[in-house]
Amino acid sequence: MAGLKAIKTKIRSIQKTEKVTKAMEAVSAAKMRKAQVRALAGRPYARAAVAILSRLSGAQALSNHPLVRVRVTDPASATRALYIVLTSDKGLAGALNSAVLRATERDIRANGLQTSQVSVIAVGRKANDFFTARGYAVEVYHPNTDTLTSELVDEIVLEAANRFSTGVVDEVKIVYQQFITTFEQRPTMHTVFPLSLPELQQVVKDIIPARGAFSAPAAEDEPRAYEVEPSEGAVLDLVLPKLASIFVYHALLETQASEHSARMVSMKSATDKAGEMEHGLTLQFNKARQAAITREVSEITGGMEAMAG
Amino acid sequence: MKVIIAKVDETLFSGDAVSLTVPGSEGEMTVLGEHEPLVTTLRPGVAIIRSTQEGSSEFAVREVAIPGGLLEVRRDGATIIL
Repeated sequence: MAGLKAIKTKIRSIQKTEKVTKAMEAVSAAKMRKAQVRALAGRPYARAAVAILSRLSGAQALSNHPLVRVRVTDPASATRALYIVLTSDKGLAGALNSAVLRATERDIRANGLQTSQVSVIAVGRKANDFFTARGYAVEVYHPNTDTLTSELVDEIVLEAANRFSTGVVDEVKIVYQQFITTFEQRPTMHTVFPLSLPELQQVVKDIIPARGAFSAPAAEDEPRAYEVEPSEGAVLDLVLPKLASIFVYHALLETQASEHSARMVSMKSATDKAGEMEHGLTLQFNKARQAAITREVSEITGGMEAMAG
Repeated sequence: MKVIIAKVDETLFSGDAVSLTVPGSEGEMTVLGEHEPLVTTLRPGVAIIRSTQEGSSEFAVREVAIPGGLLEVRRDGATIIL
């Protein structure tokens, strides 16, 4: 039987751990809700931008626009690809980050790309560490902080759009964790450039989670025809980068909501586990204490018997 | 009509309005309710939103500075994305 003092110290340390994990759980829960609310705030913008693009989807100027034109018809023959990979800065969130990183590597291999043909824009320390360690060219790295700004989004989009439209890369993909419910996140990949309308419509639809407190009201009807001023080309030049920034902004929010919910869940199970351990150890402590008392009593009575005899 | 002025990460204005005046690419323009659907680019300037106020015949006027962007007009409203 372990010493009483040793067990007591163990119980105390577990109690402290439990307090920490419980606090982290509460913090993550609050941050998760905030990220969900922010995702909803971006919806009118996304809706309008997609409506404009749908209207212009038949335009000649669209299919020839440098941000839309498909240069590589067979995805397996792309020669240079840029991946925008979003992870969290910190761990302690289950398989969240590794799932995204694995999905990226799988896609790189599936497209038969060599390490030298891939460049990466990393958001989040985990993504940066991963790709740097494996010898990929990490072109830009941003930490994934809680304060998201549209400047950060614009910067990423501008960087990616420049590389794509000048032909440095043939494809730009974004990889992140899609928030489905608090208990379920899924690594998701979208092609940002060349921009495609169906893919964008899917992303906009996904802004509202399918279930839970933030699930969706039905979509509004879009007018079929618009007047366009001054020209379709001028509108496209403006709207296409905005659409790409919806991709990036939305992916950032999804990543954050996923991060916080995954951490909340893993901290919850850590708290539960700590409670279980504490219970077991308390039982062990009581048994040890009882055994010590019994032993002492029997020693005393034994001594008394010996003296009486 | 419902007017929304939105950046990618936040909504600067959202509410009912009688008219919306914007610096359009072809000159200043005012949009009223039931306007033909329209998409236009905007120059930097000020968007002016007029709405009715309760207990007054005067319009409430709200001005929002915009750095350029796009205006999308539907029959039931208008959205400016910056």
